[in-house]
Amino acid sequence: MTDSQVLNLKVEFGGGLELLFDKKRSHRVALPSPPSSPPDAAKKTPADINFLIHWLKDNLLRERAELFIENGTVRPGILVLVNDTDWELEGEGEYVLQEGDEIVFISTLHGG
Amino acid sequence: MPSKTCALCHSARPILKRPKTGQQICKDCFFKVFETEVHNTITEANLFRTGDRVAIGASGGKDSTVLAYVMKTLNERYGYGLELFLLSIDEGITGYRDDSLETVKRNQEQYDMPLKILSYDELYGWTMDRIVSTIGRKNNCTFCGVFRRQALDRGASALNVDHIVTGHNADDIAETVLMNIMRGDIARLGRCTAICTQGEDTIRRSKPFKYAYEKEIVMYAYFKKLDYFSTECIYSPDAYRGHARAFLKDLEAARPSAIIDIIHSGEAFEVKQEVKATQKLQQTCKRCGYMSSNELCKACTLLEGLERGLSHAVITDRARQKLDAEEPPSQAMRTIPYFNLPRAPGVTS
Amino acid sequence: MSESCGNPNVESEAVMPRKAKFDKGKTCVKCKENPGNLVIRHAVYCKDCFGPLISSRFRHALEPHINATPSGPRRVALKPTGDLLVGFSGGLGSTVLLDLVHHSYLLKVVANVSKGGKAHPRNNERVWKNVRACYVEIADAFPGMKDRIEDVRAAVGRYDGVEFVPVRIQDAFDPTWWEKVSGKPAPPLGLDIDLSDEDVRISSSNSDSTPISALHSYLRKLPTPTAVHSTISTLIRILLLYTAHATTSSHLVQGTSLTSLSINLISSISQGGGFVVPQVTQEEWFPRTSPAPTESATARRSVRVIRPLRDIGMKECAAWAWWNQLPIAGKQKVPVSRQTIDDLTKDFIVGLEKDFPSTVSTIAKTVAKLAPKGDAGDRCVMCELPTQRSAQEWKARIAIRSFTAPDPSTTLSPATSLSPLLCYSCHTTLTSRSSRGAIPAQTGMPVAGPPSPLVPLPAWTVAHLAAPADTLEPHGCSPSDSTREGEQHGEVWEAKKLSVDDLRTLVGDFMLDDDS
Repeated sequence: MTDSQVLNLKVEFGGGLELLFDKKRSHRVALPSPPSSPPDAAKKTPADINFLIHWLKDNLLRERAELFIENGTVRPGILVLVNDTDWELEGEGEYVLQEGDEIVFISTLHGG
Repeated sequence: MPSKTCALCHSARPILKRPKTGQQICKDCFFKVFETEVHNTITEANLFRTGDRVAIGASGGKDSTVLAYVMKTLNERYGYGLELFLLSIDEGITGYRDDSLETVKRNQEQYDMPLKILSYDELYGWTMDRIVSTIGRKNNCTFCGVFRRQALDRGASALNVDHIVTGHNADDIAETVLMNIMRGDIARLGRCTAICTQGEDTIRRSKPFKYAYEKEIVMYAYFKKLDYFSTECIYSPDAYRGHARAFLKDLEAARPSAIIDIIHSGEAFEVKQEVKATQKLQQTCKRCGYMSSNELCKACTLLEGLERGLSHAVITDRARQKLDAEEPPSQAMRTIPYFNLPRAPGVTS
Repeated sequence: MSESCGNPNVESEAVMPRKAKFDKGKTCVKCKENPGNLVIRHAVYCKDCFGPLISSRFRHALEPHINATPSGPRRVALKPTGDLLVGFSGGLGSTVLLDLVHHSYLLKVVANVSKGGKAHPRNNERVWKNVRACYVEIADAFPGMKDRIEDVRAAVGRYDGVEFVPVRIQDAFDPTWWEKVSGKPAPPLGLDIDLSDEDVRISSSNSDSTPISALHSYLRKLPTPTAVHSTISTLIRILLLYTAHATTSSHLVQGTSLTSLSINLISSISQGGGFVVPQVTQEEWFPRTSPAPTESATARRSVRVIRPLRDIGMKECAAWAWWNQLPIAGKQKVPVSRQTIDDLTKDFIVGLEKDFPSTVSTIAKTVAKLAPKGDAGDRCVMCELPTQRSAQEWKARIAIRSFTAPDPSTTLSPATSLSPLLCYSCHTTLTSRSSRGAIPAQTGMPVAGPPSPLVPLPAWTVAHLAAPADTLEPHGCSPSDSTREGEQHGEVWEAKKLSVDDLRTLVGDFMLDDDS
């Protein structure tokens, strides 16, 4: 059994997105490592934000997935901060997550 | 409960619902209302004078076939006194234009109109196939657009024609308004809803279908059993026009009058005076005499690039001057023939 | 037909340039020291510089327009002629706006005299005598929608010095409200309009409905979901304007971000509002039934409508709200069954903004170079924006609705048709139908009895119609101008009446079934 590396992250939702995630703004997430694409474990697929987004949709999202995710990434109009920094400065979906990272998803659209 | 009678003639059974107004009407009333609206568009704008020689920019697509048919019909019905010609441009794309050129030749017989086909090959010495094989697929649409625009004028000039009509419809105009706002093209935005454009060195161009819905043009062709091609929207998702088109279709579905409403908006504003003053002035190309913002017009610039075998064929004035300094263009290099308007420019409408 | 050859084998022209997300590296462009925290349309800013940047953009958009005579970039004492009204919807923009207003004008600012410079005038006295936040509650229009006046009261209450002014959307149909804000007695009788055709015929109302039922009746009979959305916006607009007027506010500010501004511009253009695009950004308004235009702006109590967030994108608003921990109540969504022009535009623009961030500023900049073409007529009796002359005549020309010439004996006199008094957009809102034909089902609306096409008019429209014909507008048109009267007569379009039932038929595409 390969060692399961779990990343402990803080994930927050704002701008109305929290209503989709148990109406809670702040979540502690233990993100499992993504399955390797070829079965040989030599090269592990890193857990990036794209992976986190899909994992959140499958495991934490309670309703209305289309308000959070679209075409494999966050819906247009959602601002993503990684440790208080615009994800556009960190490689967007391809930013590789690290232990203790804080990711924030803020909707600018969801009016409530 | 549907109407028992046509909303316009109150007698025949209605068979369609008009996209533009939602009225339920019979086939004959549809023809009548469609044709009368185009007639009103033409007369309201005083587009033509008796004796005008008018070229119909024909590509064999649905819009131009219907345009030729309607122009002929109205010319006879209302006595416009026009001499009508079909003008088609062959870009030299194997397998693509062949069908539409066949259609245009059929139109020539059906409508009994003289046909002039002008090819890029005879005009510029290059077919689009050859251009694409030389420079690849990037930028070739820039070539085609510029070359085609000039080709229409040159063809019209060769026919000694006063006026070109094209089949631009309401959907096209609305889409162009949106697109120009998104692109920030203030110069085009100020012109795009004008029904008739004329520069000092270009032939008058008009759009009699300016207020005709594309859906209605299709319907007209369908019921009249006119030859036409259904052209799919082939714009890559990355093009502004593709985005604007998709958005426009959504708007139309939400409220059909949106197309006309956008055109109305476009006619309701104009470029501010202080902005107009800062816009580039038109000159004439010193090589071929066509209108241009720079010394050499776009077509001549592009053609020179092709002729000189430059790897990226779109060259700037500065780059060209630099190149000229190193190695002047050979006298044998093909250039576009000098452009002359057939007569003195007519009265602007 | 377009510039593209239509050749499916090649790429299309005018491919949008995809620039890199940011231009010069990840360091803040302002202080050039800190690593950046946020990308704003290709420029990188750190958190420390972000705050002052936003405040400064807010003030630059607002302060030159505070004094009666626009003061331009010069620093002068800010002396507005009246109070400030903040239009507050509860949405992201409103929330950020209120926070910035408070931050800039209501917190005590200590004059930094140690620097030796002249103390800025603003530091020593309040700019605004009174600041109020007006919220229009729309819940009563849609059964089942949650009333949020108390939530919003609490949100506004977080700011000292801001008075909360709640208004309910049905006040639009309440003569008592009208008397209160206009200072004029309400006309004794209400008026109805007939929505079954282009004429929009006016008749005296003999119903004794409450404002809420009048509102329900109005919304239920509108022809499209887009119309419902537009109508709510127009009603909110007028309610805010007259509230500003009634509270002697010289300025009304709204939290329209750059993103929202682009959306509003495109949406307005898509509904035929090209003539009034300048007003979408900024407007100088006074009541349509003012005493006389010869009075000064102060005497007329004009209200200057400003959108100080117009250079600040939605993304920056979200970042400001997050980093300042502002709770957002959220803007109420008009519950209509199908997508409206406004929704479609929003999706379109926000989608474009994601990949092409400069689109929104290009749209705003391009439209800012446009001016209305032609003369304005009287202002619309519904939305009080300038109308074009001959808008109705244009509509009639573009689409033929009848082959029979207008029968002189049945020609409507100006007094019976509302159409000549409406702007193009408002007329379209009331008369333009969706191709599906059916009046969209509004959730929760009780439908009782055979639907009549009559709906009541809002209180101000009734007042404008009752006003004497010689109400002068500063555009210079007077009633003795025979051209104007002639136009009114000539413009009345005699259309074949189509019953509401006809239009409600559901027909597949545009072809009718043979078995009817």
